[in-house]
Formats: sequence, structure tokens, C-alpha cells
Amino acid sequence: MIPRAALAALVLGSALGATAAPALAQFGFDLNRLIDTARQIGQASTEVNEAQEVEIGRQYAAVLLGAAPLVPDPELQRYVNALGRWVAQHAERPGLAWQFGVLDSDNLNAFATPGGFVLITRGLLARMHSEAELAGVLAHEIGHVVKKHHLNAIRKGAGMQAGMNIVGDFLAQRGRNPEVTSRLVSGMKEVMLRGLDKDDEFEADRMGVVIAARSGYDPYGLPAVLQTLSAMNPQDSGLALLFATHPAPADRLDALDAAMGTRLDRFAAGARGSEEFLRVTRRK
Amino acid sequence: MKRRLLVLLLACSAGIAPAQEAGYAARQVELKREPFSDAASAGTLPERTEVKIVSRQGGWLRIESASGAGWVRMLSIRTGSTGGAGGDSGIKQLFNVARSGSSGTVVATGVRGLDREQIANAQPDAAELSRMAQFAASQADAERFASRASLAAQAVDYLPAPQAAQGAGER
Repeated sequence: MIPRAALAALVLGSALGATAAPALAQFGFDLNRLIDTARQIGQASTEVNEAQEVEIGRQYAAVLLGAAPLVPDPELQRYVNALGRWVAQHAERPGLAWQFGVLDSDNLNAFATPGGFVLITRGLLARMHSEAELAGVLAHEIGHVVKKHHLNAIRKGAGMQAGMNIVGDFLAQRGRNPEVTSRLVSGMKEVMLRGLDKDDEFEADRMGVVIAARSGYDPYGLPAVLQTLSAMNPQDSGLALLFATHPAPADRLDALDAAMGTRLDRFAAGARGSEEFLRVTRRK
Repeated sequence: MKRRLLVLLLACSAGIAPAQEAGYAARQVELKREPFSDAASAGTLPERTEVKIVSRQGGWLRIESASGAGWVRMLSIRTGSTGGAGGDSGIKQLFNVARSGSSGTVVATGVRGLDREQIANAQPDAAELSRMAQFAASQADAERFASRASLAAQAVDYLPAPQAAQGAGER
């Protein structure tokens, strides 16, 4: 009997190769059987492996990019990637191929998707005062990725079994069956619009301040952004989705206050790094 | 006049002006003469005292209030007013000013965007996804960035969850 992991690798290897898919059809492979196999693997394990997670995250990121494209500014995008990658080196999954991007939207929001994709809006960036604030927000999103909060939410949203079936079906057919892809995409949109568990947001906040401090930044950057958000008019249309999908900034500050106390004060002299941040983010 | 307002708005948006945000004490807060825990006391702010935030230094805010001025712990202050927050955020107006040159004009943003309906209707954009990958940084890029920015890595433990602070949802 083939070990399950090897079987998974075999199925995935075939299913994920972009050039392999047409070849499969050509040789008359039974796609349905392939889907069933992937489905059984999905059902047998409550965890997807890293390659699967990255593939799901790519689709997820593609939907966000379909809603708002990247800001057409390569220097800005590279800056956020270098900073983000440095910060990600100080969490548990430094080996992921982390990718960061600034979305061309006035809305204030930031998103993570499974496997290491992190997107922040131009609108949120414009509200920040320093690199430490950007580092804090990226570190919060990195926390979501490290803890696989979105994968859990996709599974929970559809019911664990149905969620795994959607994921398994998608991985088996890789974009060749529009109906299956669209089911996965709807599952992702549902999570984007409903948000994560409140506890997952509080956990990502606690991780974010620590990951920022580990990276050499003043850990109070993330709380500073939350203070900026809570000072804004909660009815502002640019905040609608962020506020609908996250606990209120004041509640997040209360939770950080209780968790941080004075524990991270000795790192508060860390970098705020405003010069390059201002040069790159405020040119327009 | 209009031009002066525009310059002022852009200066604010560039983060040159210090944050002059209004806030209030989330609880009874000790006011310090310096931004340190062992600095001399400068009095006490009762809960919900309204303050003006002058500047921030690490975990401390310099504030002014009817009960005195000095430094308070950042997380003891909530921004916004104790009543309802007023006015629309300037951010959209700012961008509209920058784009249209007329503060009164709302620039149409087209069908794409990150509002609820726009996400619900979004179609995956594979080309943009490929573009995003082109900007990715390697670990070596990240190290170079950190060295340029003089960032020194620190060993810091994660914070424990406050005891049952967020209720029954613990796994």
C-alpha cells in the first residue's frame, strides 16, 4: 500500500503542475477519480499540507486583487516586501515564500491569505505615521498566517467536512472545473466578508506586537494604528468592512493593554524608522 | 486660501504634523513628568478625563488636559471623544483633492474596490497575482533592508492570553 503522504504528493504533483493538467486530459485520465482521491485525503486529515495551503492562499489573494489592483508603484511594492519579509523572518514560518502588496484602494484594511500572502490598502498606509506602525500591522497579518486562522475559518464556515471537500475538490482539478473553483472562491469571499473569530484577531494582535519587537521595531506601532482607527468616525465608509470584520479598535486596545502591561516597554525604544517610510509612501 | 488649505491637508497627510488627536482616559491614569514608569508623578487623571494628545514616545503619550499636562501610558488612553465621533475622515477627501484638484468633487472609483459588494462581485485576477510575485523579497533582500534600516533583532516571548478576558471561545 502506498503511504498516504506519498499518495497525496502524487495526486498533488499531478494536479498542481500547470502543464500537467492538459496532459492528463489528453491521456484520458479519469478526473472524477482524481477528485475522489483528493477528497478522501482531505477527509482523512483535518490539515492541508503547505503546498495545498499556498495554492488556496494564491486563489484567495487573486480574488482580493480582482477587487482592487496593486498600486502601480514598484518601489513602494518592493519596500513593503522587504520590510514584510524581514518581519516574517521573526515568526514561526520563515520558510514560506512570503509576498506582500499594497492595494490601490482608499478603504482602510489589511488582509492575509493562507500560505503567506499579505495585502494592505493604500488608504490604511496613508493613515500611518511611521515604519513601526506598518511593521505592526504586517506582523498582525503574519500572525494570522502562522496560526492558519483563515483556513480554520473556511472550514468552519462551510462546516468542517464540506470545507475540506471544497478544498480537496479544488486541489484535484486546479482551475479546470469552473464550478469547483467558484465554490472555493465563494467560501473565501464569505470569510473575507464575515471576518475571523474575534479571539483569532485578539491573538494576532498579541502576536503582532511581539513579532514587531523581535524585528527591532517599537512594539507600540500596532496600538498606535488602532488608536488612529478609533479616533476616526466609525460611520466612515472607508472603515465599514474593517469594522464589520474585526472587534472594535477600543476593545482591541483594551485587550492589548491587559496583555502587554509593561512587558514590552524595554523594546519601546526600537526603531520607528520614519524617513524611508515617508519617502516611499508619500511621493504622490 | 484654498491653496493654503490644500498645502495644510497634504502636510497632515504626509505625517509631518504631529498627531493632535483628542482622546480620553480609559481608566484612572497616573500622570508622569517624564515618559518612564519611575518618573515623578504629575497628578492623576480621573477616568474619562478628556485629553489632547501632543506626541508619542514608545509606550507613552504626552498629553494636555484640564487636570494637567505630562506623560501617560499609551494604552491608558482611548482616542476619539467620549461622545460620538464627528465628521467624515479626511482620507477620501484628501485623495480626491489630490486627484481632482477640487475638494468638492468626489472622484468615481469605478466598479473595483474593497467594499462589501465589490468583494462579493470580484473575479480572481491571475495577471495581478503574477505581478505581485515579481515584487517579492528574498531572505537576503530582507537582511539587506534590515541592515540599511539598522534594525536589530530581539528575543521576545509571545504574550500569554489575559485570563478569560475574551470569554468562552478558548480552544
